[in-house]
Amino acid sequence: MSEQVHNRLAVVRAERKVSRQALADALGVHYQTIGYIERGQYNPSLDLALKAARYFGLPVEALFSLEPFQPLTTEIYGDNGRKQ
Amino acid sequence: MTTAATRNDRRMYMIMNRDAGAAMYATAARRRTAVGAHIALTAATVGCWLGAVHGVSVWYAVAILALVAPWSVAMGVLNGATRGLLQLRGHMLDERQLVERDRVRAIAHRITLGLLFAGAAGVGLATWLGGVRFDGALLFPALFALLVTHWLLPSWVACLRVQDDAPDEVDEAPHGH
Repeated sequence: MSEQVHNRLAVVRAERKVSRQALADALGVHYQTIGYIERGQYNPSLDLALKAARYFGLPVEALFSLEPFQPLTTEIYGDNGRKQ
Repeated sequence: MTTAATRNDRRMYMIMNRDAGAAMYATAARRRTAVGAHIALTAATVGCWLGAVHGVSVWYAVAILALVAPWSVAMGVLNGATRGLLQLRGHMLDERQLVERDRVRAIAHRITLGLLFAGAAGVGLATWLGGVRFDGALLFPALFALLVTHWLLPSWVACLRVQDDAPDEVDEAPHGH
């Protein structure tokens, strides 16, 4: 049984303006596979996760986590960010 | 991809990933309809073929010729929906597709096992309880139907397991990878 791996791929990809096709080409996978990963319907291999992290120049834990991700604004500003 | 792709591999990849008929398998309902149509066309073609083999009527051969074109179109829809999951060689698929292909084959294997069990149990019970004696002439049609089922069941399973493509907010252009 595999555990659900949460990811922030869609957010980072949108922020960097990288299309699914461009990312898929860079990682050597089918563009639909990027969609499956983003929707949590497929957990990428360690190899693929590391390649994605290297592509974006981020640590792998910035993209993938066993725990659900907090919204980026909460991570940057903390809970106080909501009140400001 | 560990093995170099041949020209034929690349050609097949292009064919299987064309977006020309994407509208025909864009939603789960359309994919279910395509699978249903393909099953019906397959059953009709097999029936006509068996009729032609047994020489019942020449019209069976004519019917086969009429059924080949729609059957091929339906098969193309299934292959397009699955992006050639079962048609492309392993080194043309990525890790997610290889996992999916294994899963599809495992499911199809279980269904085939269930069908064989049900068939064997049905024949056994009919013989044992009903005293029915099965004619040897039924052996060939039964084996042929089993062969076709074994051949095509993975395609039907694969098509029914396909998930909808969510639109890409970064790039809305159609993908023709």
